[in-house]
Amino acid sequence: MSLSTRIPGKGRHVTNDKNKPTKDPSVSPGRRAFLQAAAASVALPYLVPASAMGNAGTTAPSNRIVMAGIGLGNMGGGDLESFLGRGDVQYVAVCDVKRDVREGRMNRVNEKYGNKDCKAYNDFREVLARADIDAVHCATPDHWHAIVVIEACRHGKDIYCQKPETKTLREGKLMIDAARRYSRVVSGGSQRVLEDYRKIVDACWGGSKGQVKSINVNVGPFPTDCNKAGEPIPDGFDWNMWLGPAPWAPYHPHRCSGSYNIDGTSWRSFKDYSGGGMTDWGAHHFGGATFAIDVRELEPEEVIFHNENGRKFATCRFPNGKLLHHNYPNRGNLDVEGTNEQGPSKAVPSYSGTGGIYGDFIDCVKTRRRPFRDIEFAVHTANVCHLFLAAYELERSLKWDTTKQQFVGDDEANRLVDVARREPWVI
Amino acid sequence: MTSKETTKMTLAFGAAAVAATGTVAQTDSAAVNDAFNTLKTYDWGADRNALNPIDQAIIASHGDPAARKVLEKRLVDALAGGLSRSAQDYVCRKLRIVGTAQSVRALAALLPAEETSHIARYALERIPDEKAAEALREALPKVGNKLKPGMIGSLGVRRDTKSIGVIAKSLGDSDLSIARAAAQALGLIGTPAAAQELSRFAKAAPASMKIPVADARLVCAEQLLADGKKAEAVALYEELKGDDQPAQVKVAAMRGLLTAATKK
Repeated sequence: MSLSTRIPGKGRHVTNDKNKPTKDPSVSPGRRAFLQAAAASVALPYLVPASAMGNAGTTAPSNRIVMAGIGLGNMGGGDLESFLGRGDVQYVAVCDVKRDVREGRMNRVNEKYGNKDCKAYNDFREVLARADIDAVHCATPDHWHAIVVIEACRHGKDIYCQKPETKTLREGKLMIDAARRYSRVVSGGSQRVLEDYRKIVDACWGGSKGQVKSINVNVGPFPTDCNKAGEPIPDGFDWNMWLGPAPWAPYHPHRCSGSYNIDGTSWRSFKDYSGGGMTDWGAHHFGGATFAIDVRELEPEEVIFHNENGRKFATCRFPNGKLLHHNYPNRGNLDVEGTNEQGPSKAVPSYSGTGGIYGDFIDCVKTRRRPFRDIEFAVHTANVCHLFLAAYELERSLKWDTTKQQFVGDDEANRLVDVARREPWVI
Repeated sequence: MTSKETTKMTLAFGAAAVAATGTVAQTDSAAVNDAFNTLKTYDWGADRNALNPIDQAIIASHGDPAARKVLEKRLVDALAGGLSRSAQDYVCRKLRIVGTAQSVRALAALLPAEETSHIARYALERIPDEKAAEALREALPKVGNKLKPGMIGSLGVRRDTKSIGVIAKSLGDSDLSIARAAAQALGLIGTPAAAQELSRFAKAAPASMKIPVADARLVCAEQLLADGKKAEAVALYEELKGDDQPAQVKVAAMRGLLTAATKK
């Protein structure tokens, strides 16, 4: 079955077979009882009119999407504001391991609504156990994403997860599996994929690049180990919960700062919590690149490591032969190599609903379509980052079996597919 | 000589191999030796770059089993030599990449202690040798409750069929973290025997375990289906589509049945 995705401002629709509706229509408490009774019917989504799903202009309170936020520091605070500003969302819970952060966010929500209904939590599991919550957004550090997303799916919640969505290769498949198993709407979080690289995306999809052979991305730096000495843990900060599945380490403000710097002064710099600039900015750049050359539905089959006179760079090869280079000498960021004769054009997929990537997610929660940044596309981008990181770490080329989610004939590389999680966390 | 080659050769300067490799560039071997010496006093706050020669040696020794064995032994010996927590952390991260059966005993010795159990698993979970699984299995009944979920989780990730029995005993544990980890691990192992244990437990599972066990059974069913055990998978799905299950589980079970129906 095909569904239509509206292109904002262009008045036309793109047929997108990948934008299939998911099967579970339970989206808000008001509808839940009815929908639960009929949950076994997989044909049900097609019988529920859009107007009954809060998609007809005005939104009755009972039809609002009831939401919570998990991880509400810098990025999470921005996400919260975006969802809070929507009339079709009712925000009811905030969760953060820093007391001052969660209380500040709770007060912000309660001020917005003029009541005291929003509750604050330290443990995300208590949020996800609440039956009245339809959807959550997650902006924890990266090492938490998979655990939160999978647990949300288990509890029947839709989830918007910040980028980069995964910390390891294994996590990606588990997240996709959980989303599909429970028919959840799971959106990744890079708004830049669609919004920041339009010129190159439009050129590729519009056919002016001809047959595209390759694209290059310049991004970094690599993540590093963190060996910073311990300092006293600030009052109200649940350090053990912040570390979560990551190896124990002493508190240091640079280890856990949510600053956007990737220079050794934020968690984004360090291997245990992030893939460094390779994933933090890579989620955007590689996401834009794979979107531009139309390989977002694919995973690379091979990552080729180059070392030319000490200059290291790498290339991912996709099953259709297209190449995605990283730091290719003398090529700019998002530089496309094509045959350059005018080829056929195709319409560029876009967000549904209104309000950018946040509106896209909310619209998909209502319609049960897959979002623009569906978890599968997001994971494919993250996997590109992880495959590059593995090749650079081992300084050799690697073949990737996309079905088995294993490196081919390289037991050592396969050890990098995942990390053991600190107790009690398991995925 | 490339930098990779010179670094590879420095490995031979492990204590066991010095005599046999007299032509190796002294500067490189000195750097690796210095790094191992640094490891003895390495602690939080120390310069991580001082250990880089060991990292480089690991990269360079790929495809050279003899050099790799020497390097692994040096790491294992260091681990046994009374290192700081930070240094132990470093060594275990390296053994995650290069560890073999040779490392298992030293890593297993770290499993019972709360401070080192996870970082030992960090290596053991990823070492393919069966001895690594054996060490985790043997440690499981001996470690405290706090550490059991991690041990069970690692066995689950390894899909260790030999641990089904001992993990199944933890399904009814009053510590919810242990019980959840057990359910999840059995789901990941995903064999008919694991499915049987989950189904047996599900009949009397407390409310707090309802979603974890249902999820584990769904994961198990997917694995069974992938392994061509359609009848066993369908049996699980059938049990999960009833009104006693949460809505999302019922839908997942129906979805699973549809998937199974289209599978030959």
